[in-house]
Amino acid sequence: MTGSTLTKMGVNWIGLYTLVRREMTRMMRVPIQAFIAPWISALLFIFIFGFVVGGRISEIGGHRYLEFVLPGIVMMNVVNAAFLQSSSSIYFSRFIRFIEETLVAPLSYAEMIAGGLSVVVLRAVFTGIGILLMGVAFGATQVQSWPLFLFWVVSVSAVFGLLGIIVGLWSKSFEQLNMPVVFFLTPLSMVGGVFNTVQMLPDWLRWLAWANPFFYFINGLRGAMIGFDETPPGLGEGLTLLLLVVLGGTVWRLYAKGYGLRE
Amino acid sequence: MSVPALAISHLRKVYRGGTVAVEDISLTIPEGEFFGFLGPNGAGKSTTIHCITGIAEPTGGRIEIFGIDAVKDYREARRLVGLCPQEFNVDPFATPYQIVDWMGGYFGMTAAQRKPRLDMLMERFELGPHRKKQFRELSGGLKRRVVLARALVHDPKLIILDEPTAGVDVELRRVLWRYLAEINRDGKTILLTSHYLEEVERLCRRIAIVDKGRVAREGSKDEMAGGPGGLEQAYLVATGAEPDHVAD
Repeated sequence: MTGSTLTKMGVNWIGLYTLVRREMTRMMRVPIQAFIAPWISALLFIFIFGFVVGGRISEIGGHRYLEFVLPGIVMMNVVNAAFLQSSSSIYFSRFIRFIEETLVAPLSYAEMIAGGLSVVVLRAVFTGIGILLMGVAFGATQVQSWPLFLFWVVSVSAVFGLLGIIVGLWSKSFEQLNMPVVFFLTPLSMVGGVFNTVQMLPDWLRWLAWANPFFYFINGLRGAMIGFDETPPGLGEGLTLLLLVVLGGTVWRLYAKGYGLRE
Repeated sequence: MSVPALAISHLRKVYRGGTVAVEDISLTIPEGEFFGFLGPNGAGKSTTIHCITGIAEPTGGRIEIFGIDAVKDYREARRLVGLCPQEFNVDPFATPYQIVDWMGGYFGMTAAQRKPRLDMLMERFELGPHRKKQFRELSGGLKRRVVLARALVHDPKLIILDEPTAGVDVELRRVLWRYLAEINRDGKTILLTSHYLEEVERLCRRIAIVDKGRVAREGSKDEMAGGPGGLEQAYLVATGAEPDHVAD
């Protein structure tokens, strides 16, 4: 409104909150896709790998197999939820062109990015908590450190939210939008230590785990939940924060250049 | 002399593929003006509007809105502008109320400020019975009313209307004309593009005709429409139309 700036510290808080409201509304239009689908998928993983297969596997690091795989299942779904929420939101708004609503408004790039990312993190956290509750039902949930658990869920969902924004800005078709999921996210998460420790891999294959960022995310969350951690202290956290800074800077730069946004 | 509502100086826009959409456009629109911006399809009207409002990045030149640089101080400049675009750039699953309410929010309006403004706009554009329907379910005329209400929600000083009456029936067109004339009388500056010359002639006091990315002619409505053949002939001559296309 002319003359009513309503900003504090240079931030258009009402604009930012409105972006969050809009994205929440859009997300809640598809509750099955947003929440029910990942929860069913997680339930199947828990049942098959935790009970059917897990029943024939001895303990790993003093933990039942289901307790061992549950953090990986949570992380896989957090990653998917975050990536799909941000990439589809950006791509759809470009495709339908209602991204222009925010381009003509007095919103900064940081506010546009933060508004979208907040809902990404909310969806990922809600998805993760839902899977944790399923774990409770199967008697397999432990969280040894809630601060660390939240650090991993929030930071990893932000990482994949930012990655989703980049893909959403780059994509020119729905096929391109799905490519990273098919060729990178699913394969890398599957071989990122969801079902096995690094020690269980043959020597010549271990480098693959160390080179795979998903390994650090899953391992970190596993450390927070059951205390089983295969990396030196702080390494995973440091790498994740570094990724956040690099991706955050990249996304901000793309917004400032108008890549995929402005004509 | 007061600061103009819009001052465009040597605007140039070249798209990534190398297409020159705007060659060199300069315009000054004083506060309170009702300005008609005419030209054939592809002349550069919409691109100019997109550069003013932030949808497109100008390649060169300068745009000032009430003296504020529209590129460098874009946040302050955009607070002053309301855009009704040619195309429906709207979330098709959102309701009219949500669409207008969200836009008010983006512009920093509190819920207490938005509520009476939305109620007034819903009533003014007769959107009340449709406020909870999805945008995609509305007729073309109702969709046009929604994007108009969205452009006006934050009570902007400069209103840019890119073919606002395209595809709407005569009745709504007249409702809209009355409303635009009224808010212009109240001091709002309006930049209007339209292919309906009678609309421009009826509403605007000053007119610019663009062709091939340049201003081909600019003047008062009386200058433009006062000659033989009226505004239509002035338009056809300015845009270099073939002589046999000129009205008898």
